Amino acid sequence: MGILDYIGLGFLAVVQGPEIFGIPATLVMTLLGFLLGILVGATPGLAGPMAMAISLPILISIFGYTPDALLPVLGFLVGVMKGATIGGAVPAILFNTPGTPDAYMTTLDGYPMTQSGQAGRALRIAHVSSASGDTFSDVILILCAPFLAVLVERYLDLPEKTALLILSLAFIAAVIGNSVGKGLISLGLGLFAVSIGTGNDFYPRLSGGSPALAAGFSVTSVVLGVLILGEVFKGIEDLRQSKATSGKVARAPLEGAQRLAEGDLGRIAPFIGRSAVIGTVIGALPGVGSTLAATLGYASGHKLHARSGKTPSFGHGAPEGIASTEAANSSVSGANLIPVLSLGIPGNAAAVFLILAMDSIGGFNPGPSVFRFTADVVNPELVIAFGLFTVMMFANLLNWTIGGAFMRTIGFLAGVPKQILLPVVLLLTLTSIYVGNPKLSEIWIAIGFGILGYLMRRLNISPLPFVIAFILGSRLEETARQAFDATGANPFFLFTSPIAFAFTALAVLVIALSLRSNRSAAS
Amino acid sequence: MLRSLSSSHILGLVCILATVLALAVWIPLDIETGLIEKVRRQTSIGDSLLPTLACGFVLLGGLFLFLPGKDSGEALTGVNLRYLILLLVILAVAFAAMRWLGPVLVWAFTEEGVYRNLRDTAPWKYVGYITGGTILVSGLLAMVEGKVTVRGIVIGLIATLALILVYDLPFDDLLLPPNGDV
Repeated sequence: MGILDYIGLGFLAVVQGPEIFGIPATLVMTLLGFLLGILVGATPGLAGPMAMAISLPILISIFGYTPDALLPVLGFLVGVMKGATIGGAVPAILFNTPGTPDAYMTTLDGYPMTQSGQAGRALRIAHVSSASGDTFSDVILILCAPFLAVLVERYLDLPEKTALLILSLAFIAAVIGNSVGKGLISLGLGLFAVSIGTGNDFYPRLSGGSPALAAGFSVTSVVLGVLILGEVFKGIEDLRQSKATSGKVARAPLEGAQRLAEGDLGRIAPFIGRSAVIGTVIGALPGVGSTLAATLGYASGHKLHARSGKTPSFGHGAPEGIASTEAANSSVSGANLIPVLSLGIPGNAAAVFLILAMDSIGGFNPGPSVFRFTADVVNPELVIAFGLFTVMMFANLLNWTIGGAFMRTIGFLAGVPKQILLPVVLLLTLTSIYVGNPKLSEIWIAIGFGILGYLMRRLNISPLPFVIAFILGSRLEETARQAFDATGANPFFLFTSPIAFAFTALAVLVIALSLRSNRSAAS
Repeated sequence: MLRSLSSSHILGLVCILATVLALAVWIPLDIETGLIEKVRRQTSIGDSLLPTLACGFVLLGGLFLFLPGKDSGEALTGVNLRYLILLLVILAVAFAAMRWLGPVLVWAFTEEGVYRNLRDTAPWKYVGYITGGTILVSGLLAMVEGKVTVRGIVIGLIATLALILVYDLPFDDLLLPPNGDV
């Protein structure tokens, strides 16, 4: 059985599987998932993983635990993942409220474009960049998945993975915002917050004996609190002050060309190309995820743009800024399946639900056996993998067609008065948090972190290092514990292998260089 | 003396003091294991390491703010603090109404008398959510516009009803606030 045979079998598994109204169920479910993904992505306060979490039990109860259920269920989840990625740019651009940490960098240039009346153009740039990054990543996934998976696992052992996580955190603290000091403060606060109520000991650390703190903070409450509630609180105060000073509430105009301007595609193409490569490489690394890809894509685009000397600069409504972020975070989705399929390690929250679906339904065990090409007998897991690749390409087609139409029409939302929108977004976010975890204490925790997000914005501290540190903190601690144990309690495990040493040295170097560049910029 | 410090320096000072306090008091008193733990001759990383590392980052960040550099000039003012207090009051009133209105009405107007038994029965399950949600939306709108308006109340009502349509009607197993707590 050669690769072409498996491609054919994978395609047939999609089109000859169960049907809904005479149409292959996998295609119908992918389309439905994509539409749901766009909707939740475009709704501030909702996000793809939340929709996946709610849908998964419903899907399993509809399709059951048979092998035939795998592709329709995975198709739906892949549809949600891709739809939410493209839709996630909408609230970031129109309302400055990123639905996910990945979309935070999109706000930096997307929202200034909305404020200057170019919401439609910004949305179109986001769509082209996102769909291009997605296509590139899917193609790389199909071509390289078996080989890349083996390479990554061969060279990254526990100390290297710990050092890579430290490098990721140091990089984010140094690059985001315009002050390394404030980046480190944000990072430290995120790590401290994730420490509360967790740990290996029977006593939940730093909980002060309080039952509310003993369970730790849920990721949803913290991330949505800092990113969305913080922005909503600041936005309401800004509107209040504008009303107090000018007598009327400031409103974003919707004027000028909403289409792509002439030369826009040529202008953003190099940024899309760079970010697509960055996102794909990051996506292929196990356990790193799309937020880092978006950050690195943006930072790389920032440098390229600064060298060209074009205006507007990054952070002030540069279309290249949107292109760099969106291409990078979208190109993670395909490559992210490399560690998922071959190692069973998720790179982001969406990938967790794909693994959960595979585990729940059965018949597909992510691991090295998936990519075993057998000469005489059919490897059913490889057929499913190629079926999944077919689904990815179909979802990609939807991304270009339906996704494009959606992004061309959604710009009218920018005209909704912000003083109405922000309170509604607040209620929606708090309701979403409660529906996911029905305790009023979760709402108050989210409000608490919303106030922290508000204070950080008022003090010009970027909330992104906080959020990433919170997401990666537990993984960092767990990997470090395992690396420490595996190296026979060697306290210098970060320096014993050349790769781990290089990552650790790079982490220190990136902080030192950014500090120097901050000081030279000031002088 | 504080007046002569820039906003970045004040932030740096607060961070340094907070981390010293956390490292000297909170972490030693509220974590059972140290940085490195030895149990039955096996050495492993203790629970104190991650929060200590976190404090280290905050401390380093605070110290970096004292290095010569550009001060963004962003600082908290009395206006910001007054706004936060008003915001918290509106949130507290809205969530108090959300939490308690349903149980009070059930106690006053039904023979059942216990909200928990009716928390999945219309209209009782919606009473608190609609009232609290409307107070939240219209209250924040009033905060921006400087007055409570009928328009604001109608917008709040429409928003809560729309969210009921999205979350409650299609899914039997999802609970709107406060019905998971009562």
